[in-house]
Amino acid sequence: MVLALGGLAVLALWGLDAVRIQPNRIVSGTGHGLIEALGTGPALLVMLPLALVMALAWRPTRGREALMLMLVTAMLAAMPWALSLFIGQFIDDPGGAARAAVSGASWLVGFALILMLIDLRQRLQPGALVTLVLIAVSLGSLGVAFGRGALDSLALVQEYEVRRAAFAEAIVNHLILVGVAVGASLVLALGLALWMRRVAGVRQGVLGVLSFIQTIPSLALFGLLLAPLAWLASRFPLLSDLGIQGIGWAPALLALVGYSLLPMTRNTFIALDGVDPDVIEAARGMGLAPLQVFFQVRLPLALPLLIEGIRITTVQAIGLAAVAALIGAGGLGTFIFQGLGQAAMNLVMLGALPIVLMAMLVDALLKALADAARRGDADDRTG
Amino acid sequence: MRPDAGTPMIELDNVSKSFGDAVAVDGISLNVPAGSLCVLVGTSGCGKSTTLRMINRLIEHTGGEIRIDGHQIRRFNEVTLRRRIGYAIQNTGLFPHWTVARNIGVVPRLLKWDKARTRERVESLMALLGLDVEAFAGKYPHQLSGGQAQRVGVARALAADPDILLMDEPFGALDPITRSSLQAELLRIQSRIRKTIVFVTHDMDEALRLADQIVVMQAGRIIQQGTPSEILAHPSDDFVETLVGGRDRGLKRASLTPVGEMMESLPDDGRVPAVHVLQTDSMRLAVSLMLWHGVSQLAVVDDTGETVGMLPLRRLVDDFGE
Amino acid sequence: MRGLRRYAPPLIWLLVLVLTAVYLSRLEPLFAWLEPDRQTVVYPRQSFVALLLQHAAIVAVAAALAIALGVGAAIGVTRRAGEEFLPLVSQLASIGQTFPPVAVLALSVPALGYGAEAVVVALVLYGLLPIVRNTLAGLQAVDRGVLESARGIGLSPWQTLLWVELPIAAPAIMGGIRTSVTINIATAAIGSTIGANTLGNPIISGIVNGNMAFTLQGAVLIGLMAVTVDSAFSRIA
Repeated sequence: MVLALGGLAVLALWGLDAVRIQPNRIVSGTGHGLIEALGTGPALLVMLPLALVMALAWRPTRGREALMLMLVTAMLAAMPWALSLFIGQFIDDPGGAARAAVSGASWLVGFALILMLIDLRQRLQPGALVTLVLIAVSLGSLGVAFGRGALDSLALVQEYEVRRAAFAEAIVNHLILVGVAVGASLVLALGLALWMRRVAGVRQGVLGVLSFIQTIPSLALFGLLLAPLAWLASRFPLLSDLGIQGIGWAPALLALVGYSLLPMTRNTFIALDGVDPDVIEAARGMGLAPLQVFFQVRLPLALPLLIEGIRITTVQAIGLAAVAALIGAGGLGTFIFQGLGQAAMNLVMLGALPIVLMAMLVDALLKALADAARRGDADDRTG
Repeated sequence: MRPDAGTPMIELDNVSKSFGDAVAVDGISLNVPAGSLCVLVGTSGCGKSTTLRMINRLIEHTGGEIRIDGHQIRRFNEVTLRRRIGYAIQNTGLFPHWTVARNIGVVPRLLKWDKARTRERVESLMALLGLDVEAFAGKYPHQLSGGQAQRVGVARALAADPDILLMDEPFGALDPITRSSLQAELLRIQSRIRKTIVFVTHDMDEALRLADQIVVMQAGRIIQQGTPSEILAHPSDDFVETLVGGRDRGLKRASLTPVGEMMESLPDDGRVPAVHVLQTDSMRLAVSLMLWHGVSQLAVVDDTGETVGMLPLRRLVDDFGE
Repeated sequence: MRGLRRYAPPLIWLLVLVLTAVYLSRLEPLFAWLEPDRQTVVYPRQSFVALLLQHAAIVAVAAALAIALGVGAAIGVTRRAGEEFLPLVSQLASIGQTFPPVAVLALSVPALGYGAEAVVVALVLYGLLPIVRNTLAGLQAVDRGVLESARGIGLSPWQTLLWVELPIAAPAIMGGIRTSVTINIATAAIGSTIGANTLGNPIISGIVNGNMAFTLQGAVLIGLMAVTVDSAFSRIA
């Protein structure tokens, strides 16, 4: 496995451009590969650690795998600095118009290293602390490299420098959109789930309607909401004073809530409905009032699955909120579509990379929270 | 009734199996004569299942030789070999997406029998196993009870009329009553079709009831083999004695012995005991009847109700034990 | 007869979709009422039928590739020879699903440039994940006893796969394909921002020019297309 990934990385370094140097923002510039820039000898030297890892992977033992894990982490941490040095070969004044875009070989090597890390971690099953240290070392190095200005010549960084304020605003905007949509859908979903539990007949109908909404593609739903909201705004000036218009946050939020309702309601219902009836029976038998049963027994037991629903919904909403930029709702999607319009790829990345990071972060965080809730149950029962 | 121990159908000659450093089966030798039912019995992890699965090469043996009909099994293509050997396991392994009829017909289909012949075979097998064709042919496995599913499993194993049948705890997951009736069914079928059967179980009672030959295994070795009576009469060590039920084994042996084997001829005075028992009933039932009715002798009758002998309590005490 | 009744809903949806695509431009008076100040109220650049076909073609090609690659990969890593890659592939499939589809689409542009090809590649990449994940789950859920007896009966590895494993895993695999195609129809619409001709074109053009009629036309057609496909899947699965 590691062998195959190492091979991929070496091939990429051999055959593909590592960076692309652009004289200014729009011109796509020229690519530079490792061998062409450094000569064969030094290039081989750069590949040495990769070769070492591959050699260790030939006949893996536990000790060698641990060594490989350390080497891979070290390489990952060294990557931003190596990139900075490499770019320095071509660009003398980091503040100037010339800039460097990270290119094929660098992406592939980074990707291969991360996959190796995942694979090795799965084999060795180290504790949470070790994992944390590994992540901290690789991300920390990247952070320090940014902080020290080592990557200032990167086009991505330059795009960011120009838009510091807009970037911060976009992130906040994105988070607010997602937060409000998820929050509203959570409240609605709780209501719907309780209704579905009480009245058996509505269950099919509610889930049917919600999954129908879910099948409508996001762009179409945004589009469909534009016209009625614009009409409402023109009819009722009060609404447009409140900021409700055809274009903007109103249709985006409506659509996001619509999409969020299905996963949220389904999970909430399953969570509440799936609590062991014997436990509820026992709680009632001990003399808990209906509200006490709900808040002290049913809700805590349903919590892990409920959080799972919030996780799925939030990850989905982060992606959909990006599309909402198309109808003027703001958020990180703005950069993506601006960049696509201007053929400025680095601007596209300035929008897309934070969205991916945000989604992965929320995913990991809520997964951990769900696990904690699960363990919390166990503690309560014993303690 | 026992078949002649003539040509051995299956021969295991000093067979071993190791997984890495762990030895699962350690140099066992065993002959299963054609047409006999051999039961491998032992606690879980003793190597009995591994031994069984080496015969159809689901597991490859690492030492020794396994021969079928005198030919080494390694000479055969493994897939061809398996199609010639019926195989039935616990939880049936029926294909959930196929009907009963299709499940039973899978091996004939593999062997490219034509449709009519396959259908005929499936129907006759269902009849043999007491499954109503009309009612069951179109059903899916999840619509069957445990006992019915197991019958289908056995029918599937018999479908291509293999000479050999391997059964790995086929009745292990069933309730006692269903298990008992399926055991009776297996004996009835075996008396008609005379397959060479290797049967694995952890249940010594099942082994005693079914086997022509019992092989007791422990930690990958054979610690005793013999007929059920031999095993009951002379357990080779404490372990086997515990397996056959310790002090309870008098009754176990009684349940294996038909009354006909122990009865005496009628006394000359022509007085027939009031309580009677069938010639083919077990000695265990005879003892039970004596206890219940408070008598010390029974009349023995045959199928037609004709009195053919008598069974005094004295006979049991004198001759049945060691 | 029963077959016809069973497939009636998707067929009716399909009919509605095609009729709408063909005759949408006839509804000009309606759109003129919606946008009274405009001269052009029907999306002029391409016919709706052409856009619908191109949209469908992009999704179909991407789906075919994603199914071939995804089911193939999942089968590969569940065989003895591919065991080594199983943990990585299943981890990738679950990590990858946290990637928003828009981000995958956007990131494919720097790598592949503008145009329908880039959209197809992005759709294949993203569409792989649910298929791989569901196929893996389906194959791994096949009862061990069933596999054991398939082998014991004398099914070859190929026959075991084709007759037993895949049919048993089929509902799960179909579920994955359904998710994949649903997401891809939506993402392909956004693909018109990177130069593919899809039903997203009228929507984007309507937003850019502030012409609500264009937007509505695209949205209605995409919505119908999604509902048609979903209805077809709910009959097959």
